Amino acid sequence: MSDPAEVHALDPESFEERVHSFQFWFESVQGYLAGREYGHRPDAEDPPLEESERDRLVTVLCNYCVGETAALDGASGLVAAAPNRLTKIFLSTQVVDEGRHLEVLRHRLVELGVERPEEEVERRVSPRLRDFRQRLDALVAQRDWDAAIFAQNVILEAMEFSTFHMHAQFADPLTRELLIGIIKDERRHIGFGETELGRRLRVHPTLRDRLLRVRSQLDPLVLATFEDAMSELQVPRAEREDLGRSYLGAVERLGVRA
Amino acid sequence: MSGNVLKLPGSEAPRAKYALEDDTGFDEVPKKYRKFYRRWGGRDDVLAPNEVLCPVCKVVIRSNRELRPGDRVYCMACMARLRVVQGPDGGLVADVEY
Repeated sequence: MSDPAEVHALDPESFEERVHSFQFWFESVQGYLAGREYGHRPDAEDPPLEESERDRLVTVLCNYCVGETAALDGASGLVAAAPNRLTKIFLSTQVVDEGRHLEVLRHRLVELGVERPEEEVERRVSPRLRDFRQRLDALVAQRDWDAAIFAQNVILEAMEFSTFHMHAQFADPLTRELLIGIIKDERRHIGFGETELGRRLRVHPTLRDRLLRVRSQLDPLVLATFEDAMSELQVPRAEREDLGRSYLGAVERLGVRA
Repeated sequence: MSGNVLKLPGSEAPRAKYALEDDTGFDEVPKKYRKFYRRWGGRDDVLAPNEVLCPVCKVVIRSNRELRPGDRVYCMACMARLRVVQGPDGGLVADVEY
């Protein structure tokens, strides 16, 4: 496929084909992951944290690990349910992204002195996030493409996108670097979810009512979880106003509102 | 950016043409496409006539010509297909096309 002088002159089919490819994914992530070790520059500054600050960060990272594990299980399970080649290929790149996120977050826990990260994650996970994960797992097991993509790529990913973005502004330098790398991946995930559902809603408008029911069950769990994370990180309340903005913007555009 | 004028067939008035610099510091898409995007500087970031903000992922999308309502643009960072429209305040905004 030739590259036009103006990318916006591509026809929609060529654009879709191009961006839903491993080739595109590989060339994209190279730009911001090359030379990184576990998500950050090997010589990144890592000043010691106060014990209370370290403990709060460990709790937050443990919950991020659960969110990323949910997305990893969800994306990998949904490859089989994906309706066509392009969605299968995109989701397989998302699986790689989610696996990387889990790895770098777990590694950060080790860098922070957590000896048994898996046990710590189990001990510190929010019950609401655990509940969300179980419900997402159930949708994936039922191969309920629309509801699972909505739960995973719109609700969960959009909330992670906003939360990580906010956290990065207040984080220690090393955590900040790995969060910024994750945010760059999340852009693709949220865009994929919204576009895929937008297309399906255009053809099947009655799907909107179903997604609204999924939203009413799941988004309180995710919103509360990430609000808890912001409290844990002591992010000023005024700064948290933007927390749900990305997610609410997406559901507004899709028309999934009461 | 240059301000040369390009007359396009069928347009009411000539559009300004823009030479996009190769590296805007945006590293989230393959190198050959990076000039078409840049990071958004927040609400105080004034967009040029060849730029529009992606409503999905908040990246600034750039074109090598002045944008007008009805133009199609792509956000490669989040893979959204967008249509340029006139916003409520008269400026250009992008609507997602599904």
